Amino acid sequence: MADGTDSGFSEGQSSGPGGSSGPISPDLDPLNITTSTVDLEESLDMGAEGDPKSTGDDITTLTQSSLAGLRLDDALASDVHDLFVTVDDPEKHITNMESYITYRVTTKTTRSDYDSHEYVVRRRYQDFLWLRERLEATNPTHLIPPLPEKHSFRRLDRFSPEFLKTRQAALQKFLSRIVDHPTLSFNENLTIFLTAKAWELASHRKQAQGIMGKMGSSMRSMAAGYMLKNRSPEYATMQEYVNTFGAKMGTIDRINQRLLKEMTDYQQDLREFGPVFTLWSNSETELAPAMLGMASGVEKCEKALDQQISDQEHVFAPPVKEYILYAEAMKAVLKRRDSIQMEYELTVEDLSRKRNDREQLKMSDQSYSLGAFLGKDPEEVRQQKRTKLDSQIEELLKQVEVSNDSVECANADLKADLERWHRNKRRDVKEVFSELCDRNIQYYQECLSAWEETLQEINQKSELETASTLATPTSSCPDTPNLATPTSSITPPLPATPTKGGTEGGAAEGQGGTQ
Amino acid sequence: MADVGSDSAQEGGSEASTPSSSKRVTSLLSVMEISVTEPERRTGVTAINMKETYTVYLVETRITDMKSELLPETFTDETFSLWRRYSEFELLRNYLCVTYPAVVIPPLPEKKIHMMWQKLSGGEDKFDPDFIERRRAGLESFLLRVAAHGQLSQDKIFHCFLHLGENWKETVLATGYQNKKIYLILRTAQMDSRLKTLNAQFRLKNPDRRFQDLKNYSSELEANIANLLKIRERLAERLYGIHKIHANYGRVFSEWSGIEKEMGDGLQSAGHFMDVYAASIDSMLEEEDTYADALKEYLYFADALRSICRKQELLQYEVEKLEDKLVYLKAQKEQMEQGGDVKSGFSLKGMTTKLFGADTPETRDKKIKLLEEQTQQTEEQLQAAKWELSTYIDRSLQDVERFKRQKVRDLREIFINYSIMQIKLCKKGISLWNNTKECFTKM
Repeated sequence: MADGTDSGFSEGQSSGPGGSSGPISPDLDPLNITTSTVDLEESLDMGAEGDPKSTGDDITTLTQSSLAGLRLDDALASDVHDLFVTVDDPEKHITNMESYITYRVTTKTTRSDYDSHEYVVRRRYQDFLWLRERLEATNPTHLIPPLPEKHSFRRLDRFSPEFLKTRQAALQKFLSRIVDHPTLSFNENLTIFLTAKAWELASHRKQAQGIMGKMGSSMRSMAAGYMLKNRSPEYATMQEYVNTFGAKMGTIDRINQRLLKEMTDYQQDLREFGPVFTLWSNSETELAPAMLGMASGVEKCEKALDQQISDQEHVFAPPVKEYILYAEAMKAVLKRRDSIQMEYELTVEDLSRKRNDREQLKMSDQSYSLGAFLGKDPEEVRQQKRTKLDSQIEELLKQVEVSNDSVECANADLKADLERWHRNKRRDVKEVFSELCDRNIQYYQECLSAWEETLQEINQKSELETASTLATPTSSCPDTPNLATPTSSITPPLPATPTKGGTEGGAAEGQGGTQ
Repeated sequence: MADVGSDSAQEGGSEASTPSSSKRVTSLLSVMEISVTEPERRTGVTAINMKETYTVYLVETRITDMKSELLPETFTDETFSLWRRYSEFELLRNYLCVTYPAVVIPPLPEKKIHMMWQKLSGGEDKFDPDFIERRRAGLESFLLRVAAHGQLSQDKIFHCFLHLGENWKETVLATGYQNKKIYLILRTAQMDSRLKTLNAQFRLKNPDRRFQDLKNYSSELEANIANLLKIRERLAERLYGIHKIHANYGRVFSEWSGIEKEMGDGLQSAGHFMDVYAASIDSMLEEEDTYADALKEYLYFADALRSICRKQELLQYEVEKLEDKLVYLKAQKEQMEQGGDVKSGFSLKGMTTKLFGADTPETRDKKIKLLEEQTQQTEEQLQAAKWELSTYIDRSLQDVERFKRQKVRDLREIFINYSIMQIKLCKKGISLWNNTKECFTKM
């Protein structure tokens, strides 16, 4: 499949996704994938209004993540680009026994080993689990992408729209990674998963239970990696990397959770803050508009924060969690590789032990062996044992060769997968963290415009006020009460008769309230 | 005295109604600058010979217009300064409250922390540098407001506060302000506002509507500001937490960059920006604190407003008491003149008549004469009280108007500053996250 058309194809494709803008010439897009993705977007857009099956409000996020799933790796000759899958449309099923969700899995392909160009099936989480288990069992030397966790611990409602949206995106990513893989995408289990009818899949799943026993035979080689004698240091480095990487991802996830909690608390307080200004505005007249302006500024910030919190939880957190799981998957594949090498080393050990035995046999005295006791000729016993050992050694030599091959293959597979993984990781990290920055920027921009508006409102009224007070010269003298009387203490008037009437009248006036 | 009356009636109207009054446009603050700086710790000995430590502040005055006629004569130097401690500020304020009861006297910053949520943030220690700094700002604001007030700024004791190094306290006490009746009223009013009880003593027959409204307004003002400050404090704490958590991002990015090859540099720089983000909140919150303090000033102003109302109530109570007394005396006189006719049920007169016989004409005349004297006296007292009340009402309402105008200006400025600060914070955030984003996109 790795020929000129592929690389040409990928070039055409890499300009397409990431935004549904720009027409792709039909030559470079034989499957019409980009436009069909656009159609998908549009149908989702139209579906958003009152369609009970619609996947929720945030269409942009959905299509972005589905596009991200479709996005191609940096061109590598071994990468495949003739199989595309999308996961969407979660639906709830209720039976007597249980209720569960299925997702629609749409496949489009040009491959000859597929009977049709397009398949649409419904799959539930358990089916994805089955697929992964099968892939791991049939491709132990490959890094199998992780599945999202079975349960969400924080939200007990596994039917909530956010949870479904997140899970759907994660399942999409999972399948996209598999179909992009040069080896895994040809796995028959994948084909079954993508194409089989419900009952066909069920029968395959039952079969799988029988195959599980096969795993037991390699138990002795599941020893710890440090027991390997000849492990090259690069694997130790890889192990260390994976451990540290997984730990760092875990830390980032925890930091995010802490932030979310603090931000939610902050939002709570913001919700109380705005109304205080509104309440206060009731007892003020000139300042009321300014206070209402403050209240509205706070309210807008609170809304922006709401969006930010939601995005951090539903858009940023899931990829981080996925990479934590990826680290676990990497640990598993490293372990499997180690066990293959262990198998090889044990076989080599067996061989050298048998060779030793053969050497020993030449010099040994068979007169006291079991055979001699039973009446056989000691020399014959020696010959018999010698023959047996020879055949065993023959066998072991073959096994050593096979085992060595396995090790080489495993190493090669692992190396290729890790290279691919590193590339994808770099791209994903860029994307996920850039988006996190974008969300923060958006939050601050919304707050900025809110406060600029508030400032305008506060200043506007001030202009009105100065305009009205310029009419009366009162305000031009800021703080002077302008009391002409220099008395600094209250002294009652002298009780002179003629003034009594005058002051009485004045006092009565004062009491009546002239102010 | 008629002048006084007519003046007060005239002042009931707009301020700048006469051409001569328009000259009094500026106050002392227009020709000089006052600042309160350099808090220092001192130790001394109290009246009961106990050692105490206290903080003093440097009060510096700088005159900008030496030729101005507004300047008091004692201000001969261009700059002068002296040390004052909090209790001296308190003394000045008490003196001003007594001497200018109709003026809304600017408040002082708090002596002690009495709000729980402030204690929790560590402001209890009176030598805590943060507390001292905020107090310093409050004291400076107090002096500036006094200097900006047309009447208060002309007071000699205030001038002495700025200028007289020694024996200022004695000078204040020498004015005998503590002996004035209004001082007692002031103390009562102060205690009332501390205990927050409505003084049931002063049940007025005709409470003045304007002061009722003012009292309600001051309560609302106090409640609203207190609420606002409480929530703002919580918001500040949360925002602080959010920013500091980003320092953890800084750390983890830095650690992560160690194991990556191509991504290493990008992660390292991103980590650096996260640290910057975490650190940026400190200066912003410090600035926000100053606006919160400015708001708090108006919390205490509400108190000052309430004490204005209380003084009016007390004065009106006096008037009503005297009016009642006058009515009683007149009734007594009438009764006597009509020959002590005991028509209405039980009375002391009736009793004494029965027991000791009726008065002789001479005794009755004497009694009537006494009553007439008392009536005259009471009438004079009533006149005085009414005059006092009306003058007080006019002056206080006028100053309340001034206060309200000042309040509108001050509060508006606080809101403007707060909004500007938010805008600054947002711009900083945008630029920082843009920088961080670049670290990732360039990876």
